[in-house]
Amino acid sequence: MKKVLIVDDAAFMRLSLKNILEKNGHQVIGEAENGKVGIMRYRELNPDVVTLDITMPEMDGLTALKEIKKIDNNAKVIIVSAMGQEGFVREAIMYGAKSFIVKPFSEEHVLKVLNSI
Amino acid sequence: MAELKENIMEVEEDTQKGRYLTFSLGKESYGIEIKYVTEIIGIQEITEIPELPEYVKGIINLRGKIIPVMDVRLRFKKEEKEYNDRTCVIVIDVKDVSIGLIVDTVAEVLTIPEEGIVEPPGVSKGFSNRYIKNIGKVGNDVKLILDCEKLLTEDEMEDLNSAL
Amino acid sequence: MSKLSHEPMLEMFIFETAQLLEQLEQVIINSEKISSYTEHNINEVFRIMHTIKGSSAMMLFNSIASLAHSMEDLFYFIRENKPQKIDFTELTDLILEGADFIQTELVEIENGREATADSCLLIEKIKVFLGDLKKINQISDQSCKNNEKAETIKQQQYYIGSDSFAPIPAKKMFKAVVYFEEGCQMENVRAFTVLHNLKDLVSNLHYFPSNIVEDDSTEEIIRVDGFKVFFSTEYSLEIIREILMDTIFLKHLELEELVGAEELIEFEKNQQAKLRETQSPEIKMIEREQDLEAHSKSLNQSIISVSVSKLDTLMDLVGEMVIAEAMVVQNPDLRGLELDNFQKAARQLNKITSEMQDMVMSIRMVPLSATFHKMHRITRDMCKKLDKEVKLEIIGEETEVDKNIIEHISDPLMHLVRNALDHGIEPTEDRLAKGKPKSGTITIEAKNAGSDVLIIIKDDGKGLDRDGILKRAKENDLLYRSEEDMSDGEVFNLILLPGFSTKESVSEFSGRGVGMDVVSKNIETIGGSVSVDSVQDGGTTITLKIPLTLAIIDGMNIKVGKSRYTIPTASIKESFRPEENDIITDPQGNEMIMVRGECYPILRLHELYNVETKITNFIEGIIIMVEQDTKNLCVFADELLGQQQVVVKTLPDYIRQLKTVKGLAGCTLLGDGSISLILDAGGLFNL
Repeated sequence: MKKVLIVDDAAFMRLSLKNILEKNGHQVIGEAENGKVGIMRYRELNPDVVTLDITMPEMDGLTALKEIKKIDNNAKVIIVSAMGQEGFVREAIMYGAKSFIVKPFSEEHVLKVLNSI
Repeated sequence: MAELKENIMEVEEDTQKGRYLTFSLGKESYGIEIKYVTEIIGIQEITEIPELPEYVKGIINLRGKIIPVMDVRLRFKKEEKEYNDRTCVIVIDVKDVSIGLIVDTVAEVLTIPEEGIVEPPGVSKGFSNRYIKNIGKVGNDVKLILDCEKLLTEDEMEDLNSAL
Repeated sequence: MSKLSHEPMLEMFIFETAQLLEQLEQVIINSEKISSYTEHNINEVFRIMHTIKGSSAMMLFNSIASLAHSMEDLFYFIRENKPQKIDFTELTDLILEGADFIQTELVEIENGREATADSCLLIEKIKVFLGDLKKINQISDQSCKNNEKAETIKQQQYYIGSDSFAPIPAKKMFKAVVYFEEGCQMENVRAFTVLHNLKDLVSNLHYFPSNIVEDDSTEEIIRVDGFKVFFSTEYSLEIIREILMDTIFLKHLELEELVGAEELIEFEKNQQAKLRETQSPEIKMIEREQDLEAHSKSLNQSIISVSVSKLDTLMDLVGEMVIAEAMVVQNPDLRGLELDNFQKAARQLNKITSEMQDMVMSIRMVPLSATFHKMHRITRDMCKKLDKEVKLEIIGEETEVDKNIIEHISDPLMHLVRNALDHGIEPTEDRLAKGKPKSGTITIEAKNAGSDVLIIIKDDGKGLDRDGILKRAKENDLLYRSEEDMSDGEVFNLILLPGFSTKESVSEFSGRGVGMDVVSKNIETIGGSVSVDSVQDGGTTITLKIPLTLAIIDGMNIKVGKSRYTIPTASIKESFRPEENDIITDPQGNEMIMVRGECYPILRLHELYNVETKITNFIEGIIIMVEQDTKNLCVFADELLGQQQVVVKTLPDYIRQLKTVKGLAGCTLLGDGSISLILDAGGLFNL
C-alpha cells in the first residue's frame, strides 16, 4: 500500500490513474495540475511515490523531477510519458526517476511499475 | 398498511421478480409489478392544477418533493368515487417519472409465478384494456396486471382515435 | 439501470475535452487577430492536442486520438523548427477543422452514440500541410530528425574509453543479456535504465545495440535478441544478478561470468568499426524553454470543478432549509406568544440562512464570457462565408448568470448573431455607398438591471423594414391592433410572434425572422423576455431580459378559494381593494378597472383556473396590478396572504409533458406544507 501524489495537467489522466491505484489498495493522498503545485504538494504531503507527467504548463515534469530530487534525493518518482517522448524519459531516468509509464496505460502496467519501486 | 410498506422496502431487486402489489377499483382487482412501486401513502391534500385532463387530479407534497397524482378510476373511465380513509396513493416511478396513483384500497403483495401469467384477451373488453399488460391467475382470482409505461404515456387523443 | 463502469470517466473525458477545445478555439482566434502564433500559443496548442491524444487513446476513441496526434506532430514541428514561411490562415482553418471534428464526435459520444467518424482525410490534409511546410522552409527530414533526437545525455561516459581493454585481475567480467516482457514498450529506454542502474557499480561498460539513444528502432532489436551488456566489476555474480533482476518488466536474464576476454575483445572491435561508420548525432543540450508568460485568467485562478448535480442538490437543500426555517419561526403554535429571546435567535438564524442562500446562489453563477466568446467563432466563419467584414464587440462579459440559465441563452444568442450577420449587416459595397464604415459592428453587451440581467445584441446594419413587417403580419393574420395605433416598438416586436415567418411565404424577406419566435420561446422558458428596436439604416437592437436566478424569488402569496398562488413581487406594481364605480364592463363583457385615469383589463383568477370561491364580488376581494415590460394587468383574488421568499420548484415532468399551463411558472411549498402555484405575469398577459 503506497501513498501516491499524482501530478498531471489533465484531470482525466489524474482520475484514470487514481481509479487504478485506489482500486488496487493504494492511497492517492494528493493531486497537482502542474510541476510547481506538484512540488508544493510534495513538501506538504510527503508521499511514498510521485507520478509526474512530462508535458505540463507552468513547470514540466522534468524540471519538477529535478526539484523534488533536490528536496529528497531518495524520492521515488515515476515519469508518465506518451509514445515518442523517449528522449525525455531517458533524461528523467538520468535525473533519478525510478521508472516510467507510457500513455495510454493499462492497469497491469501501472501496478507492475508501482509494485516494483 | 405500514407492514405492507415495510414489505416492499425489504425486498431485494432480484427477488422482486414475480411480485405484484395488488389493489382494487370497485369489483376489479389489479396488480402492479413491485419494481415500479416506491411507496404507498394515504390520501392527502391535493393541489389542483387547471387545464389538465380530469384524471390528473393535481399535485401533492411528499416530504418536499412535488408529485403529480392520477385518479386511476377516471383514467379507466370508471365512475368517480369519493375519497375516504381507505383510499390510497401508490407512488410509482417509471423511467424517472414519479406519479401517484389514487386507488380505492391496496390489498397485498402477491407472488404470481410465471405460469400464472397469461396474455390479455384480444377483444376490447371496455376501455381499461389498453393499460393491461397481462393477466395474473392466483387460485381462483384474476388480477389485471397494469402496464405502467402505457399508463403514463398514452393520452386521450390516441384513445379517442382508436375508439372511432 | 445498469451503468457502464466507464461512465464517470466518460463524463470527465467529455467535460475536459470540451473545455480544452474551447481553450483551443480561443487561442486560435486570438492568434488570427495578430496574424501570427506566439511561442506561448504554439505551446498551448501543442499541449492541448497532446492531452486530447492521451485521454482519447485511454478511452479507445482512436480516430480522435490519431487526429490529435497528427495535430500534435504539426505543432511540435512548428515549435521546434520555427518555420518562417507559414500560411497562417490555412493553418488556422486546419486546426479549426480538426477541432470541429473532435467536437462533433464528442456530441455523438455524449448522446450515447458511437464515435465512428473517420479522421483519415483530415489527417492526410495535415500531413500534406506539414510536408509542404518542411519543403517551403527547406527543413530536410534529416536535420529534423536530429533536432528531435538531440538529447542532453553526456554520451561520452558510455563510449568505449581509451583506457584498458584488459580486465583488472581483482575485477570480474560479466556478460548479461536482458530480455524484456512483450508489450512493455520503449525497450530501448528500459535498456537505458539498466545501464543507468549499473553504471555506478561497474566499469568497462559495453553494450549492444549501442545506439539505443539515437535510434528508436533498436527497440525491435532488443525485443528479439535481448539487450547485451558487458562489464567488469568487483561485485559478485549474485549481487549483480540481484540488481539486474530488479529491472521492471524483465522477462528473462542471462548472466554469466566471462572467463576470457576474447568474446569481449571481438565485440569491441566490432563496436569500434561500427562507430566509425555512423555519424555522431548532434549532442546538444536543449534547454526546455519554459514560457512563463501568464496563462489566460481561467488557468490562473484556483478553481475546482464540481458536478452540477451536487450543486443542484445543495440548492435544493438550502431551499428546504428556507422552508423549514419558515415552518419553525412562523409556527402556528407560537402565535400570540411573547418570545423575545426566541425572536432574537430566530433573527440570527435568518441572517445565517440568508447568507448561505446568497453564497449557494453565487456558486451557481457563471460569467457570460464563455458563451459570448463562442460568438467570435461564428462571426469569423460567417464573415468568411458571406464575404462581409464584421467586428464583434463584447461588453460586460464578466456579468454572471445562473448556470441553468446559461444553457438556455447560448442558442438564442447564436441565432441573433447569425441573423445580424446575415440580414442586418449590409454587404460591403452597400455600406460604402451609404457612407458607412466598411466594417460592420455587432455589439453584445451584458449588464445588471435590478433582479434581471440585460443582454443586448446590437448591429449597425440596415435595420428592420417597418412596412414590410406590417405587411407580413397582416398576411399571416397577426395584427391584434389597427396599424395606426401601433407604435414602432410594437411593430418591430411583431417579428417575435410564432407564425410570423411561415414556410410558404417567400418574399423579399426571405429568411429574416427564422428563429425569432424560437428565440422568444427559449427566453420565455427561463422567465425572461425579448424586445426589438430598430432604426432605418442605423441598425437593429435586440434586448433579452433574463431573471438573475431561477431558484429563489421574492413572492406575494395570495388566496383564491382553497387554492394558493404566488406572484413574484418584482412583477407587482400595487394592490388595492377596488371601488364599485371604478369597474367598467364593455359590450363584449370584458371587465376593466380605472386607476388614476388609466384603464386596465381585469383577470379573474377564479374564473381562469376554475376555482371555487365565495368571493366573486370585486369589492370583497383584492386587485393586484401586475406589470410586464410596459403592460399592466389587474389580477382579482380573494386576499393577500403575505410576502415571503419562495423556492421555485418546477412542476413535475409528467404534468409539463401533458400540457403547458399558461400563466404557471412553477410551484412552491408554503410554510404550512401546502403547495402554492407560482404565477408568471408574462404568461397571464398572453391569454
